[in-house]
Amino acid sequence: MEQPSTAQAPAGASAERRYPVEFTARTGEYFRIWIVNLALSVVTLGIYSAWAKVRKRRYFYGHTRINGEGLEYRANPVAILKGRIIAFAAIAVYYAAGHFAPQYQLLLLVPLAIFGPWLLVRSLGFNAYNTAYRNVRFRFDGTYNGCLKIVLLFGWLTFTGILYPYFKHRLVRFVAENHRYGTTRFEVADFKKPFIGAYASAYGFALLLLAFFVASIFMMGRTRTPVLFFLAIVCFYGGLFVIFAYLRARTVNAIWNAVRIGPLRFESALSAGELIQVYLGNLLAIAFTLGLATPWAVVRSMRYRASKTTVVASGPLDGFAQAEAQHVSVAGEEVADFFDIDIAL
Amino acid sequence: MTEFAAVYYDGRTSARTPVRVRRYALAIQIVAEGLRLDVPLAKVRVDPPVGGTRRLLHLPDGAQLQTDDDAAVEALFPSTRAFEGWIHLIERRWPYALAGVAVVAAFAWWCIVDGLPRAAKLAAAYVPTAAEAELGEQTLSFVDGKLCHPSKLPAARQEALKGLLARLAAGLDDGHAYRLLPRDCGAIGANAFALPGGPIVITDALVKLARNDDQISAVLAHEIGHVRNRHGLRLALQAAGLAALATALFGDATSITGLVTTLPVAILQNGYSRDLEAEADDYAFQRLKEVRISPKAFADILLLMEKNRARSPGSEAKDYLSTHPATAKRIERALAAR
Repeated sequence: MEQPSTAQAPAGASAERRYPVEFTARTGEYFRIWIVNLALSVVTLGIYSAWAKVRKRRYFYGHTRINGEGLEYRANPVAILKGRIIAFAAIAVYYAAGHFAPQYQLLLLVPLAIFGPWLLVRSLGFNAYNTAYRNVRFRFDGTYNGCLKIVLLFGWLTFTGILYPYFKHRLVRFVAENHRYGTTRFEVADFKKPFIGAYASAYGFALLLLAFFVASIFMMGRTRTPVLFFLAIVCFYGGLFVIFAYLRARTVNAIWNAVRIGPLRFESALSAGELIQVYLGNLLAIAFTLGLATPWAVVRSMRYRASKTTVVASGPLDGFAQAEAQHVSVAGEEVADFFDIDIAL
Repeated sequence: MTEFAAVYYDGRTSARTPVRVRRYALAIQIVAEGLRLDVPLAKVRVDPPVGGTRRLLHLPDGAQLQTDDDAAVEALFPSTRAFEGWIHLIERRWPYALAGVAVVAAFAWWCIVDGLPRAAKLAAAYVPTAAEAELGEQTLSFVDGKLCHPSKLPAARQEALKGLLARLAAGLDDGHAYRLLPRDCGAIGANAFALPGGPIVITDALVKLARNDDQISAVLAHEIGHVRNRHGLRLALQAAGLAALATALFGDATSITGLVTTLPVAILQNGYSRDLEAEADDYAFQRLKEVRISPKAFADILLLMEKNRARSPGSEAKDYLSTHPATAKRIERALAAR
């Protein structure tokens, strides 16, 4: 199981050891955990949901194994509960403002631009600090200023649409670079090309889809066949689905294949076609079971992701040192969860 | 004396040391080649078990033991005494899982049928009428130009229609600014709809379809019912509530649930709007009687509209009402309200 110390030889193909990520969660087991925790959350009017979150995470982390050893999630449910209360208040304000004063929607972007980076940094910090492998914690030490700088310098690219991938790429790089495993920094090679390339293909496909949609609407106006309209709608949503899965597969691969942690690197080989199948199956199963298939879908997605991820080590897994203790707040993580800030890491 | 195999991490590095752990009266002893460590039981913090994952024992100074020997850990530190150990027991048994399904299903059902409409009604009371009117104006500016165009009815007729609404809205004094907007909306045919805050749109096609002014008044009374009971606002609130509920219950399967919930939400919204129609109908019957118009006028115009719709291309003409019992029921209720 443990590699010999001779593997400390300089990195080379012969000295590399490959550890496919194992995922040992079982659907039936997770279904019970999911439903029991959901029911308890309902019965306690949501208070228990903090414990539910921690238990579900601990289950999945523990069943995600590298070289036979699982990840560990250490968050304190009480801290999460406090974060949720803060998050709840913030969301109430956000929704109220959006719903009843929609003319100020644009103004809401200002606090989002200032507050968003704070959320991101806090949430990443909390998650990293509470994740451990082999009893060594991860860390995130990106600063608010660093994140704000990226948002202010490149955030406006979002409105150009076509240049948005560059902003996203800068943001992802910021996130990845500022992670540590113990004291060992994540090094991130340049992944601009495959990352932006994925978006370029997706944009191209989206344009084709739009052209097809417009053409079929036009045709429908001429031939007056509602069937064609229905078909066009189905194709449109199907196309969006395909684009989403494609982007997900390509960007995740691009990012993870660029990350190094000391002697470790990653191989992520998600296939867009397979991911589409996974997502489509999940979608249908959840829809037809009125949500009861949710745990099956979650386990299935994670199993697929794990099966396509390998840790490649050119040195021992033994040599990572723990960093000094640090205090991390939970509010950011919870608010970010609600606003669904996805950074694809 | 129990003894079990574990892996020891010293808390300073990721180096793993396979060890034997022995139990004594008040302490455990961790033993390996070149390592002998005594830790008082009171200083050991044990993570509560979670389905099939390795057990973790946290030791002083950030050190840790990991083991697959669940039985040995349970013998040393019975988890059933702790809150989460109790949860773990429930999580392992199918009957509890089934009970969980029942609880969640009952809760979801109650929310949909009763909780959300009730909450929306309560919440609507806190929304100032000015904000609601703003919502209505926005919808109107969307409708005008895209869906509807200025009415082609003669100006005198339009004035007469406004007079009908003024008579119905006289003395209501409920903070809403009722005003009639005759419009020519080709695509939606003979129809009328109310927007939050008071604007009521009536299509030229409906005006032509009606046999007399009482029938138009009946429609307008129904629309006043929508405005008065703030249905537009409540529907918007219920939609937001439904989305929040779906995310809370099934949000785990991130990113795809958004798509999954669209359809059920649309169907449920349809059901909600049927309830609101009934509420608006009830108001219309009452108001019509107050201004001395028979609710039969409402039944008549409903029947005319249904017949008209059945004749339009794309739908089947035969016996429309039998396939749409909802409308038949509304007509019945109108006749019973006389």
